[in-house]
Formats: sequence, structure tokens, C-alpha cells
Amino acid sequence: MSSSPTLASRLKGRSELGVALLLGAAGVMVFLDANGLATPYSKSDPVGPRTVPFIVAGLLVVCAVLLAVNVLRGGKGEAEGGEDVDLAHPADWKTVLPLVGAFIANILLIDWAGWVISGTVLFWGSVWALGGRHYVRDGLISLALSILTFYGFFLGLGIALPAGLLEGIL
Amino acid sequence: MDVFSSLMDGFATALTPMNFLYAVIGVVLGTAVGVLPGLGPAMTVALLLPVTYALEPTSAFIMFAGIYYGGMYGGSTTSILLNTPGESSSVVTAIEGNKMAKAGRAAQALATAAIGSFVAGTIGTTLLAVCAPIVVQFAVSLGSPSYFAIMVLALLAVTAVLGSSRLRGFAALGLGLAIGLVGMDSVTGQQRLTFGMPLLADGLDIVVVAVAIFAVGEALWVAAHLRRTPLHVIPVGRPWMGKQDWKRSWKPWLRGTAFGFPFGALPAGGAEIPTFLSYVTEKRLSKHPEEFGHGAIEGVAGPEAANNAAAAGTLTPMLALGLPTNATAAVMLAAFTSYGIQPGPQLFASQGPLVWALIASLFIGNLLLLIINLPLAPLWAKLLQLPRPYLYAGILFFATLGAYSVNLQAFDLVILLVLGALGFMMRRFGLPVLPLILGVILGPRLEGQLRKTLQLSAGNPAGLWSEPIAVGIYVIVAVILLWPLLMRLWRKARPGRRPLLPANSGAADYSD
Amino acid sequence: MHQSVLLTSLTKNFTEKRNTMRQIRALRIAAVAAGIALMATGCGATGKSSTSGSSSAAAGPVTGLQILVPNTPGGGYDTTARAAAKVLDDEKIATNTEVFNLAGAGGTVGLARVVNEKGNGDLTMLMGLGVVGASYTNKSASKLTDTTPLAKLIEEPGAIMVSKDSPYKTIDDLVKAWKADPGSIAVGGGSSPGGPDHLLPMQLAGAVGIDATKVNFVSYDGGGDLLPAILGNKLGFAASGAGEYLKQIESGEVRVLATSGAERLDGVDAPTLKESNIDLVFTNWRGIVAPPGISDADKATLIAALEKMHGTEAWKETLKTHSWTDAFVTGDEFKTFLTEQDKRVADVLTKLGLA
Repeated sequence: MSSSPTLASRLKGRSELGVALLLGAAGVMVFLDANGLATPYSKSDPVGPRTVPFIVAGLLVVCAVLLAVNVLRGGKGEAEGGEDVDLAHPADWKTVLPLVGAFIANILLIDWAGWVISGTVLFWGSVWALGGRHYVRDGLISLALSILTFYGFFLGLGIALPAGLLEGIL
Repeated sequence: MDVFSSLMDGFATALTPMNFLYAVIGVVLGTAVGVLPGLGPAMTVALLLPVTYALEPTSAFIMFAGIYYGGMYGGSTTSILLNTPGESSSVVTAIEGNKMAKAGRAAQALATAAIGSFVAGTIGTTLLAVCAPIVVQFAVSLGSPSYFAIMVLALLAVTAVLGSSRLRGFAALGLGLAIGLVGMDSVTGQQRLTFGMPLLADGLDIVVVAVAIFAVGEALWVAAHLRRTPLHVIPVGRPWMGKQDWKRSWKPWLRGTAFGFPFGALPAGGAEIPTFLSYVTEKRLSKHPEEFGHGAIEGVAGPEAANNAAAAGTLTPMLALGLPTNATAAVMLAAFTSYGIQPGPQLFASQGPLVWALIASLFIGNLLLLIINLPLAPLWAKLLQLPRPYLYAGILFFATLGAYSVNLQAFDLVILLVLGALGFMMRRFGLPVLPLILGVILGPRLEGQLRKTLQLSAGNPAGLWSEPIAVGIYVIVAVILLWPLLMRLWRKARPGRRPLLPANSGAADYSD
Repeated sequence: MHQSVLLTSLTKNFTEKRNTMRQIRALRIAAVAAGIALMATGCGATGKSSTSGSSSAAAGPVTGLQILVPNTPGGGYDTTARAAAKVLDDEKIATNTEVFNLAGAGGTVGLARVVNEKGNGDLTMLMGLGVVGASYTNKSASKLTDTTPLAKLIEEPGAIMVSKDSPYKTIDDLVKAWKADPGSIAVGGGSSPGGPDHLLPMQLAGAVGIDATKVNFVSYDGGGDLLPAILGNKLGFAASGAGEYLKQIESGEVRVLATSGAERLDGVDAPTLKESNIDLVFTNWRGIVAPPGISDADKATLIAALEKMHGTEAWKETLKTHSWTDAFVTGDEFKTFLTEQDKRVADVLTKLGLA
């Protein structure tokens, strides 16, 4: 084992530096976007459209730097706990990713296949991702929810959720 | 008194079976719509307008009033139970309310919200009935300088809720301000942070942001760390509010009303700021400030009263002056116009019976909502006992539905996902959520009012203190900023006196 | 291994929460039953009765007509669209007219949608001057000149308004003070830059010889936000449609210095700009357009339907209730009007660097 800490070992376990990176990137992005704005000089608008974005960008970059320093010195943001949350294990990507997948599937399907289908996929997929294993029952519940809300919105509020593939049948 | 007898006549009209039925429909519909994030009373009333053309104006307005108040109640219910704020004015309720629900005190949270809303709604409606003209005169006298001062005060209050790590709190605030920047600049008309996407030109809706960060973020977070071994089930506890709860709630109810009503009546006030100011005030004045962030009942009682009082406040200038101060009031105004009725100074004189019936139905709607929500509170709380997969799938389902139904565009769902991921990251690394939300709400207003003030004074900075209210608020801001210094001087001058502020006031927080 | 732990924990959960589960199960069955009942009533809800909507003008009512509103429900375009749909349906000129909203970016999201639906003879969009401006400030790829103009329905002249406490008693007073120091007079309007309330003062400035870039325009969020500023005498003057403020004008709280229409506005005692020797006629108009590339037959059907609607008593009543000024112009005449308006707006906005 080397006696002097290498950069790699110092960075290990400091995933919070990613937050600092994000803050810094956001700050730079806000700055660059505001830089591209035109500022017609106007006596009555001395502040202009760039001032506040520059201030926000500055705030973000300063926080990014301070946070990085804080994390490297050993500071740690406290992860949120809760009744349903068990922090003893690292993030369970096998659950999160399918959940995100169900959400994305809904986004892709909603206009094309219609709410009834995409909403079913969303609910069913989410329940499955989170651990429900009663496939048939969950599927039926998902379908019922989607159909109920479809009609509820249409009849009650006149909002026509997309019918997609089921157009004409519903 | 004339007002009293007119009001009694109004009750007589509002309590006819037909009108009562419409009140019930309105209230139920409003609650249902308030529960869904994205869809709000404004849109509901707008969508129902054509349907109500066949009705008597009185009945139609009674229904609209029910929808409006119902929306406020419904938004609180999902805020507390599912951390999914249904309305922008219920966002602050979710902070403490959801924590209470998670600790098994959902019924108490719902009860204090319902009763507080009722108290505030009743007081607010009474103020509306009795002193509408005075309120309106005051409201109209306020201009951009005063609004800017109020925003500065609110910004200062944000520093009280930065959480245990000031640095991370400011980082969250920065992110919130950045999100608030997205959209068109109101003075020069240029797009900021839209990256050429026309769908971002109108900015990011605060409810979509709140739902994404609160509900979707939480769903993702829970998915990542779902408790596989069953914890011993926390008992739902007593379904009613205990004596302590009452004692701790009643003053926040009144203070919340005091915050909410004026802001609702102010044209640029809105219902979000008073809920936030109420929250910060309750935190400062509470005897149990350490509970804030973990389920303090004052943090639900105050903001809930504030948002319902604001709802009543909003109707005041609408009826008295034909001046709508938010989207719902604007739609109701359009409804009035389509019936050929012009609200304004003459309204009370020319359409007296209609107006008094409307006011009476506000009282009735308020009471109905209390009756509906209070006994049902323990039942709603049972919702939390759903198996986790169904509960969180349901949250995602309804969040998606609500967000989509506003514009019927899948893009809003993409925003929901991206900001949900942000919410996930914030939970992982301990960035507090409230400063971010406040950044989104306050940022655009701070900038807008500042630049408008300077425009109105043709660039002269003296415009900032050109209104008496503005000056008064800056004095308050100065006092708050200098409070620690003043305290030290006071104590030096009078040794041995007890400090006036509790020792653990926000000013004593230090970041790690 | 992870799965078996999951299964046992789930089983334990269910054993413990049997009662709750029963309740929830009962609720679910009830929900499904209600859903089936709803379905029965709603079946056929999405079926469209015809897909081409084109029949000769002499045949029965127009079916399958859709009106897109590029704004949120409750707004100006929405109100007009729904009023028109109601008259069309009530008078049996059309059946089951569907009004839907697609808001965003000042109306350009709706515009883009319409331009994309080439050849669709069922779809129409209700729009107005605001969308013209927005198509420039939002750098929209689709322009209104890409659409097929059908008819202009209504218009509303603008009004130059001040508070009753204002020092300006006539439009000449105002113009004199404005020319002397444009930057010191704050002009309020209920739209964002590019919108009708912004275009009016800009065009007015041009007509009286003031450089548009020197105009101090303060944008407010609609009429409701603008009114307190007028009443509180916080502005130099306000430029907006008078319709929202009729009550205040009647009671004298708001003074109208001039209106911008070709003729005086009913019920408002103020000269027009033309009468006051200012060469400007400006109206905030609303009309209906259709996607590009629709067949001539479809176009004729739609225009005929609109003409019929315009001729009915019900429509005249609607105009009166909402205080809209009739400005009915169809087909090619509307097209010429649109092109001219588009150019005018483009000129003003380019000068300001917004186009």
C-alpha cells in the first residue's frame, strides 16, 4: 500500500463530487447562455437580461467549488432516510432502472399507442419494478386504472387523452 | 345591519336544493381536481364554462366557488399523504405534512389542514363580505416597488430554511434560481436557457417542478433503497387530533390567515409566498423548532390556513373591482362576462342577490369541505398502508397523468423525469428541497419586479423606495438582518436579562 | 436469493395486513365495476364519424370539425373558439365540433402543429395578432403565411388609456410629452414583447416619429395585472384593448385618450387616432386558419360554414355579449390582410431586434 494518497484513492467514495461537478456545469451553462443575449442599452432597464443570470451562475460556481473543498475535506451530505428506505445497502439499480424504463416507455407510447396502453405499461411496469409479483392481477389493475382515468377525464372534464391505437374502439 | 340581512337572503338562495346540489358537485369536483397535480381549479372552471351556459348564473357560480375552494383542500390531501403537491400553494404543506404522515400521524396532519382551511376560509370570506372595498383600495395602491420589497423579505426568509448544511442549502437555491430563469425574459423578450426548444419558451411550471422533485424523486429514491425486510408497522395511531395538536395549531391557523388573505388580495401576491412566510414564521415562533423537517404540526397548520385565506382574498378584488389576481379569478371573471355581468364597484348594487348568494355559497362550500374531509381523514390515512409497490406506482401514475393533462404534451413528462432524477440526486446527497422550490418561485418574481420598478421610474434607483409600504418592509428587513447585532448591544446594556429569542433560533445555525 | 427473501417478506406482509387487503380488494372490485359502467356509457366516445369532412356545401352539416386553440382554456382565443363552436353546433351548421387546446410559446406550438398537418381538411386553428408576433419573437420555423387563411372573425381596436389622476387630458398632451422624452414615460401593456399590447405603442411611436428602440415598454401579465397599474397612476400610459376595462372607463377611473380603430368605439367617448391626425389604424383581430395544402373543396366547405355562422342571429348575439366588433372577411381578402399584418409586425420587431 502506498503511503501517500493517490488521486484515485482520494476520489473513491467521494461520489458527492459529482454534485459539485453538476453545480459547476450548471453555472457555466447559465453563464454561457446569458452571454449570448443581446443587451440593448436602455436607460430604464439598467439591470438588463444578463445581470441576474450572471449572479446565479456565480452563485452556482462558488457553491460548486466550496462543495468540492468540503467533500475532499471529509464533509458529507446526509442521505434522506425514511420508513420505506433502507440505507444500509447501496442504491439498488436493478429496481430503479426498470422503474425509469416504465416511465420512459410511457413517454414514448403515450401519443402513439394512446393513454390506455401507455398508462397500463407505466403502472404495471412500476409495480413489477418495485417488487409486485402478482402479474395478472397487477395487469388488470393497471388496465382498469388507465381506462377509468381515460373516461373520467373525457366525460368529466372534456379532456381527451390520446386514444392512440384504440381510436374508434373506445 | 344591511350586510347581515343581505347575507341571510344569500343563504336562502344558496340553500335551495338545486343550488345546494351544485355546491356539492363543485366541492367534490374541486377536491378531485385539486388532488391531481397539474390540473387545477382554473383549468377545470374554464373547461366547465361551456357546460354551464345552460344553467342559471347563480347556480353556475356556486359550483365554481365550490371547485375553487375544493381545489385548495384536495391539493393538501395529496401533499400530505403522497408528497405530491396538487397545487403550487400546497407545496410547503408537503414538507411537514408528508413527514407527519410517514411518522404515522397522517390523520392529524389532514385534520389540522382541514380545520385550518375551514377557519381561514371562513374568516377570509367574512372579510370579503364585510370590507371588500377597503381591502381593494389598499391592494391597488401597491406597485412594483412594494412587491419587490416583499420578495426581498421572502428571500431573506429563505435563509432560515437552508437546513443543517448552509452550503448545500445555497447550492439548492442556486439550482432553483437557474430553473426559474428558463423561459422568456419579460423586458427584452429574449429566450433564456431554452436551447432553441419552443416548448421551454414559457418556462417550467412550478407545479411540474414540485411534483417532479417531490413525488417522482421520492419514488426513484425509494425504488433504490426499498426496504425488503418489513419494518414493524408503525401504528396509524389515534385518528383524531390530540389536545397538544389543538394547542399547537390554533395560533398558526390565525397567523396563516393573516398572511394569506392580504397576499391573495394583492394583484401580484399569489398564494405560494404567504404559505412560505407562514412556514418560516411558525418555525421561528415554535416551541419545538427541532421538529421542523421531521413533522411539526405548526408547519402544516399555518401554510394550510394561508392558502385558503389567499383563495378568499383573491375573490375580493375580483368581485369588488373586476380585477383578477390569479388564473382562477380570471376565468371566473370571463364567466361573469359571458353571462353579461360586469364585476366592479357597481356589482354589489346591481347584482346584489347573485353576489350575496355567491358569498353564502362560499361559506357553505367551506363547511361542506370540512365535513367531507375531516371524518374521512383516518380513511385517507389508510391509503398509506397500501403495499409499497402499488403506492409508489400509483404516485407515478397520477403524477404523470396530472402533468400530461395540462398541455397534452409528452415533453412535460420528459421534464418530469429529468427533474425527478434531480430530486433523486438531491436526496442522495443531502441537498434540501425547499430552497430549490423557493428559488423557482422567487427568482423570476424578484427579477421581474426589480426591473419593472426601474422601468417605471425610468431607471432611477430612487424608485425602489418610492412607496411607503416598500420603505416599511425594508425597515423590517434591516431589523431582521441586524437583529443579532441589536441583541448583543441590548444584552450589553442590560446584563442579566434573558434573551428574547429562543436559543436555537435559525440565526444560530452554522454549516459544517 | 434476493427473490426468495422478497417472496417471504411479501407473504408475511400479506398475512399481517389481511384486513386492509380485503378492504382494498373490495374497493378495487368496486372501481372496476364502476369502470365497466362508465365504459358502457362512454363507448364510441373516440370514434370519429367521418374522416374527410368534405361534402359539398349544399349537403348536411359539417362533421368532424376540430378547432385548435393555441392558448390555455379561459383565454381570449379559447373563448372565441368555444363561442364559435357553440353557434356552429346550435345552428346545425356543424355537428360535434371539437375544440381543443395546445398551448405554448405564445401560440407557436399550436401553429407548428397546424402547419404540420398538411392536407387535413378537418382541422382549423383560431388565432390572432398575438400569434403573428409570437412567431417572430419565438423564432418559430412555421409562419402564419404558411397556413390557409379561412376567415377573420372579430377585431378589437386598442385604446390609449391613463388613470383619472394623470396629467394628460388629450392624446396631443401625451404625444407632446412623449416626444420630448420617450424614455421617461413608461408604457404599460398586457402582453409580453411581440404581443398586441406591445405592437400598438411601437407602431404608435413610429407614427408620431419616435424611435421604437427608445420606447420604455413595461409588460404586464394580462389585463388583470395591468389594471392596478393604470388605476394607481403608476404608468405614463397604457395601451391595450378597451374591452376588459369598460366598467372602469364608464365610472371614470380610467380615461381613454384615443382608440386605434377606423371608427370610434361604441360607448367610449374618445377620438380615434386618425381623427387626432395620427396616421395609424391598429386592431387586435382574431380569425380562423387551416393547414396548408387542403383541397379547394374542403376550403370552400369551411368558408361556407363560417359565412353561414356569421349570418346567424346567434352569432350576432354572441358578438354583443362579449363586446366583440364584427370584422368578417374571408378567403383571399383575409389572406391579403394576413400578409400585410405579418409584414408590419416583422418590420416593427426587426427594428427592435426581436425578430
